[in-house]
Amino acid sequence: MSKGFASNYRIVLLATVCFGSFGAVAARLVWLQIVDREKLVASIARTRQSATPIPEIARRGDILDARGGVLATSSPRLAVGLDPWALLKRDEPKWSQLAALLQITEADIAAAARRRFRDEPTVTRSPVVKTDPSTGRLTINLTPPVIVEDDDDDDATDTPEESGRKQVRWTVLAKEVSEQTYAEIVKLGVKGVRGERAYRRVYPNNQLAAHLLGYVNRQQDAAAGVEAQYDFYLRGQQGWRVSERDGRGGELPQFLTRRVAPAHGYHVQLSIDLIVQDIVEQELAHLGEKYRPAKASIIVSDPQTGFILGLGNYPTFDLNAYNKVPAAEMARMKNVAVADSYEPGSVFKIVPAAAALEERLVTVGRVFDCTIERVVHRGTNVSLPAEDHPMGDLTLAEIISRSSNKGAAQLGLLLGEEKLHRYAQAFGFGRKLGFPVGGEVAGTLHHWKKWYPIDITRITMGHSVSSTVLQMHQAMSVIAADGVLLRPQLVRQIRDAANDVVLRYDRTEIGRAVSPETARTVAAMLVGVTRKGEGGRPGGTAPEAAIEGFDVAGKTGTSQKLIDGAYSKKHHVASFVGFFPAGRPQVVISVIVDDADHMAPGGVAYGSKVAAPSFKRIGERLIPILNIQAASRPAPPRLLAAQTGGRR
Amino acid sequence: MPHERAGHPAQARSLFNPATVIAVGAIALTFLGLSILFSASAWFKQGPYYYLNKQLIGVVAAAVLCFVVSRIDLDYARRYAWWIAGALGVMLVLVLIPHVGIEVKGSKRWLGVGSLRLQVSEFAKLGLVFCLAHYLALNQTRLGEFKRGYLIPLGLVFGFAGLVVLEPDFGTAALIIAVGLALLFMAGAKWRYIAPTAIAVVGAFSLLVMFTPNRLRRMMEFLSEEKSYQLRQALAAFAAGGTEGTGLGQGRQQLSYLPEAHTDFIFSVVGEELGLGFTLGVVAVFTMIFIAGLVHLRRAPNMFQFLLVLGSVLLICVQAIVNLGVVTGIFPTKGMSLPFISAGLSNLLLMGMLVGIILNTQRTWGRAVLPERGRAMREVLA
Repeated sequence: MSKGFASNYRIVLLATVCFGSFGAVAARLVWLQIVDREKLVASIARTRQSATPIPEIARRGDILDARGGVLATSSPRLAVGLDPWALLKRDEPKWSQLAALLQITEADIAAAARRRFRDEPTVTRSPVVKTDPSTGRLTINLTPPVIVEDDDDDDATDTPEESGRKQVRWTVLAKEVSEQTYAEIVKLGVKGVRGERAYRRVYPNNQLAAHLLGYVNRQQDAAAGVEAQYDFYLRGQQGWRVSERDGRGGELPQFLTRRVAPAHGYHVQLSIDLIVQDIVEQELAHLGEKYRPAKASIIVSDPQTGFILGLGNYPTFDLNAYNKVPAAEMARMKNVAVADSYEPGSVFKIVPAAAALEERLVTVGRVFDCTIERVVHRGTNVSLPAEDHPMGDLTLAEIISRSSNKGAAQLGLLLGEEKLHRYAQAFGFGRKLGFPVGGEVAGTLHHWKKWYPIDITRITMGHSVSSTVLQMHQAMSVIAADGVLLRPQLVRQIRDAANDVVLRYDRTEIGRAVSPETARTVAAMLVGVTRKGEGGRPGGTAPEAAIEGFDVAGKTGTSQKLIDGAYSKKHHVASFVGFFPAGRPQVVISVIVDDADHMAPGGVAYGSKVAAPSFKRIGERLIPILNIQAASRPAPPRLLAAQTGGRR
Repeated sequence: MPHERAGHPAQARSLFNPATVIAVGAIALTFLGLSILFSASAWFKQGPYYYLNKQLIGVVAAAVLCFVVSRIDLDYARRYAWWIAGALGVMLVLVLIPHVGIEVKGSKRWLGVGSLRLQVSEFAKLGLVFCLAHYLALNQTRLGEFKRGYLIPLGLVFGFAGLVVLEPDFGTAALIIAVGLALLFMAGAKWRYIAPTAIAVVGAFSLLVMFTPNRLRRMMEFLSEEKSYQLRQALAAFAAGGTEGTGLGQGRQQLSYLPEAHTDFIFSVVGEELGLGFTLGVVAVFTMIFIAGLVHLRRAPNMFQFLLVLGSVLLICVQAIVNLGVVTGIFPTKGMSLPFISAGLSNLLLMGMLVGIILNTQRTWGRAVLPERGRAMREVLA
C-alpha cells in the first residue's frame, strides 16, 4: 500500500483469507461436479423420479342399440382427493368450506389428512420402465390408473419411502364432483387438494338389457355380457407418455420425451332395439307383479335374420347399481334365457310334426286316434301320456292346435328314435347356438341309442328333453324362417371412434332343418292354435294370443316342473312361442314364465292363460314399431281345408 | 477534516481501470442472475415471469441508485455519517416493533409500504461501513487507545449486529461483525484487541448455537454425514450439472426439490444448468472483483475513502464467500443471498450502491483536490 492506510502485512493477510476462501469454494466445486459426481447423482436418483411413463386413459366405447340409441357410455368424471403430505396448517380453517363443497364432514378430511402412510408396504401398481440389460431395450410395465371406488382408497399415486413404508400421496375425498364445484374448490385454494379426471361407465337406461350388456366393475374390468365379450373392441388402447415428476409428484410437461396417444375404444352396436327391449321389460315387470314367478324370460327376434331385437329376464337388476345386488339374490344377474334350461313342454311338438311331414310319413289331414292308452314299442308295453282334456280322433293339424299329447307321441312312434333325434338336433336342441353373451348352455338331448322305449312318447311332448328359452325360440324361428336354423345374434356391427364400421355381422345359417314347404305347412297349422272355436268346433289352445288383423302362429306349452325327481302338478312352466304374420313372419316372440301357479287362475299356470296374453300385448305394441304388415301370403288352400274342414 | 490527500492526477481516466472491471463483473453476474432466476422460478405458482419481473425492476432501480451514488461527493456526504448511522439504527429498531416491521416466516426483517418491502439490515451494512470508515478515519492516530481505537468502534459494530440478531438474522449479524472487525483490523487496531475479540465472537456464536435447538440441529447436520434435505438437494444439483450442465431451463432440482432455489440457493441452479465452467466462472468473477478492489485501493486519497471502498468490496466478497460456502456445503446452512444473482430487491439495491461508491471513487480519485470550504449545494452533486 503506497500511502500506508493499512500496513502491507494486514492487506496480505486479508487477501490470503479471501483468496483462500474463494479457492476452497472452487476446489469444492471441482469435487462436487467432477470427482464425487457419480455418487451424488446415484443418491438423488432414488428421490427423483425420472422418466416415468404416465398412462393416458382411453375412452371405453359405447354400446348402442340398433337405432344408435345409447345403452352404455363412458362419461368423464372428476374425483377430488388430497395429498396428506402437501397440506398446510394455514389451510385448515378452509376445511369446513371444502367439506361443505364436497358434501362430506370435516372429520373425513381430518382423517384423510392424518393418514400419511400406507398401513402395510404393498407392491406399487404404478408403471415401471426398465431397461433390459441384455438388449438395452426399454420395457414398460403399464398398469392403467384406476380410481378404485372402494372406501379403501389405497390405490393412490404413492411414493416409496426409504424405510419401506409407503407414503400416501392421494386419498379420495369425493368420487364424483361437478366441474362447477371443482372450480370453486380450486378457487378455495387448499394446497394438496386436487382433482383427477377419469371415465366412468354409465348405463343411461339403468336395468334395461342388463343381462345382455353386463357391466364394468370398480377395477375397470368388464365383468359380464357384451361389456366382457366385446371388451377387446370396447376398451381401446391405453396411451402413455414418458415424462418426469417434480418433488411433489406433479408431472413436468416440459420434460415430456415421448408420447403415444390413446386409441379410444370402438362402439358396439347391438341388434337390440331400445323400444322393443323396453316393451319386453315392461311386460316382464307386469308378469312379475301379477304372477310373482320364480323367473320369466321374453325374447323377441327377427326370424329372417336371426338378430335378437329384445331379450329380457325377470328378475333383473340395475346396471348402475350392480354392486348393490344382495349376495342372496345373485341369481338376478343371470341371463336365464340362455344360461338355464327347462323342459319346453308342448311347444316342442312342432319338431315331431315338422319332422313327420318332412319325412312324408303323414299329411296334414292324417287322422290319429288320440284315446289310445298303450302301445307296444320296441317290444315293450309303453303307456302313452295322458291328455289334459279328453280328445277323440284328431287330424295332424288338430294335434298341434289342440296340443294332443297322445297324438304327438304317435308322431314320435311313426318317426322312430333316430329320426326324431336327428330333427331335434337340426332344430337346435342339445347344442349351443353360439349366442355371444350370458353363458349359453346346450340343454339336454340324449343320444337316441340311450333312450328308453317310453322316452319317444315323452320327448315329443317336450319332456325328457331340456332346452334354453333361446333354443326353443330359435326352433320356432326355424318354422318362421322357411326351415332354416339361424344363429341367434346380438351384435350388428362394430364402429370405430369416427363412427366408421370396422366389423359387420350378417345373417348366419347354422343349417337347414326342414324344407320351406314343410315349414310353411307347420306355420299354417300353428295358426290354428290361436283360432277361436266356432260352430261347436273346438278352437286352438291359445286364442288369447290372437292379434286382430293378423294370422298369428304359435304354440303353447305348459310343462310340469321336476320337483324332487317327480313331475309336479302344482308347479309349471307356462310358455307361448310364436310369430306373426304367419304367411310372412316378421317377428318371433317367446314368453316363458316359470312357476306362476300360485297366482294363476285355477292354480295352474297354463301357457295359454299366463304366457299367451303377454305375447298378444307385445305383438300388438310391436306392429307400429317394426312396421309389421298384415298382408301375408295366402295360405295354401289345402291347408286351410285341413284346418277348417276337419278330417277327410 | 484532517489528513485529506490528493489523488494521482496522472492515473486518471483510462477506460481499463479497476472500477470498470468491478462494474463489468457486476453487470455480467447480474445478467447471469436474471437468466438463472427465470429458469429457477418459471415454474412457481405465481407465474413464470413473476420473479423475473420483480428482479428486472430491482436491477433498474439498483442501476439508478448506482448512478446517483457515483455522482455524490463522498466527502460531503461524510458530514452526515452519524445521521445516516442513527437513522438506520432507528429503522432497525422499528423493524422489531410489531405491526411496523413485516414478519415473514418468524423473522422481522422488513419495512415497507404496499408491495414495496425493504430489508433494513442490508442498508444497515452499508451504513455501518460508512460511519465506521468516518470514525476510524477521524481517529486514525488514536487507534492505539483502548477506548477510541477499540471500544467505541466495537460498540458501533455490535450495536448494529445486536439489533440484527434480534430480528433474528444471525447470518447478516455475523457478516456485519466480520466486515466491521476487518475494517477495524485494516485501519490498524491493535492485535491484542482484535484477536481476543474474534475469539470471543466465535465463542459467543457457538454458545448461541448450542442454546438454539434449531441452529444446533443444523450445525450437527453440517458436522455429520447426513446432510439436511435442502443441502442434499443443493449438492445433488451441482452433481447433476457436472462439467457440462443440463442446459438453461433444463435443470430439475429447482422444481420443488430444492427450497429457496431462486434466492439463497440459486448458485446450485447455476451449477446444475450451466455446469462447472460457469460455477468456477462466478467464483473467478468475485475473486476478480476482490483483486480489482485491492488494486483500486492503492490510489485511495484518504483514510475515509480507503476504508469506505474496502468495506464496500468486503461487503460484496464476504457475502459471496459465505453464500458460496453454504451452498457448496463448506459452511453450515445460513440464509445469505448471493450478490448480484439471488432474487431480492434490498440486496440488489445495496449492491448497486456499493458499485456506485467504487465508480464514484474511480471518478474522483484521479482528480485534484478542490478547496473544501464554501461549496454551494449545487456543487455537492458534481
